Amino acid sequence: MSEKIRNVVDPVLFLIVLGLLWEWSVRFFRIKPYLFPTLSDVFAVLWNERVSMWNQGLITLLEVVVGFAAATVGGVIIALAIFFVPTVRRTVYPMITAMQSIPKVALAPLMVVWFGYGLSAKFVMAFLFAVFPIIIATLGGLAGTPQNLVEHFRALNASGWETIWRLRIPSALPSFIDGCKIAIPLAMIGAVVGEFIGSQNGLGYVILVSSSTAQTAQMFAALITIAVLSWALFLLMELISKLVWWRAV
Amino acid sequence: MMTNITNAKVQTAVAIRKLSKTYSAGSGGTLALSDIDLDIRGHEFVSVIGPSGCGKSTLLRIIGGLLPYDGAALVNGAPIEGPSPDISIVFQKSNLLPWLTTEANLNLGAQIRKKPITPADTSRMIDLLGLKGFEKNHPHQLSGGMQQRVSLGQALIVRPSILLLDEPFGALDALTRDRLNIELLRIWEEARQTVFLVTHSITEAIFLSDRVVVMSPRPGRIIEDVRIDLPRPRAVKETRADPRFSRYVNQLSELMGVV
Repeated sequence: MSEKIRNVVDPVLFLIVLGLLWEWSVRFFRIKPYLFPTLSDVFAVLWNERVSMWNQGLITLLEVVVGFAAATVGGVIIALAIFFVPTVRRTVYPMITAMQSIPKVALAPLMVVWFGYGLSAKFVMAFLFAVFPIIIATLGGLAGTPQNLVEHFRALNASGWETIWRLRIPSALPSFIDGCKIAIPLAMIGAVVGEFIGSQNGLGYVILVSSSTAQTAQMFAALITIAVLSWALFLLMELISKLVWWRAV
Repeated sequence: MMTNITNAKVQTAVAIRKLSKTYSAGSGGTLALSDIDLDIRGHEFVSVIGPSGCGKSTLLRIIGGLLPYDGAALVNGAPIEGPSPDISIVFQKSNLLPWLTTEANLNLGAQIRKKPITPADTSRMIDLLGLKGFEKNHPHQLSGGMQQRVSLGQALIVRPSILLLDEPFGALDALTRDRLNIELLRIWEEARQTVFLVTHSITEAIFLSDRVVVMSPRPGRIIEDVRIDLPRPRAVKETRADPRFSRYVNQLSELMGVV
């Protein structure tokens, strides 16, 4: 079999084997459904609740996309400022790295206090989780611009903006995209954590409600939806990263 | 003294007096260049050879306006205070942007310097450097020799009066190097830019130059300035067969301490 076909077939087969193992072991050991539902029960919930699952998923997706987009724009601006403005590098940069060690989960209640139970608190949570890797990756890319090209631009008397626009930014793009790949699943975590703390909808809310009503199959259904959404977003980033093909040359 | 050389050497493309360069690293700093005097006339092809670390690349960067210096250094009569629009530089390591095509890389220098060029200029450069068929290729799809052709084209397209070459063919195999040397000469015969070439290769320096300047190990000083009296246009076989060629090789090898 060609490698291309195996790249698709192998993971699918693996998933099927895992699924069968799940289904049979739960039945064989007669595990109680509220502890561990069978896969078929989970699929049944997914099918029966498909409309509401889709709607809740869309809300979470919106939170992730908005938070991630803000993290992208904000992260790049912050990275550019840190890289090019010595004062910002001396003041803001150490503060950001120090704040990074505060567990962002612990900030979620504060965000509810500040932004309420609506979507904005979740946007902020997704942003907070996603922005740090984007800043660090963009900074790495900017600093990694080949020194001989920087000197060449100097010899051409290029202005500061021209050097940024024509040289530094394209050089930093591959690294920036890598940062985005790390940030996308983190934005999902941020959004779901935000929903845990206080909300009336979204997949995190579904998980919370399922837990309090012991509807474990529904909880698994929500978890699978989250995983599929994250995976789809990551694949999208992979596709976008193909546009900056010069990473590999 | 500055006004002195300004008046006396206006036709001189590069005039250097009592130039020295200290890198301020560690305690006291390292003296890289010491007491350099050098004149390069317009349209002259001058090479500088010397052992690794003798400061010849530093000298080239000073002329290119990329490094501060002590002493006096003029380009076309004006003190060097930064990169001059009259100068193009080609370095050993390719200057090409990986995400641009051959065409775009050729035009890049002119765009940044805001020198107007036409598509005809670009296609002329493509013909001149034998890049036809590679216009839409990216640097990673080109051989090392091809990449340096594009770098050279980017430098030449703005019609500089002075060309600074920092071992431009140093990373290439001998055959490609010979071929590019011949092409460089052909291009130079046509446009007669002032050329300042830094090289490790004694034969390359002799083959190309009107003068070969020899530098001492660090701190770099000019220890000899050898006029190369070989007829032009030069050709690999004939020029190397000339008895004067081997005499120059011997003379320069001795100065370099090779023999």
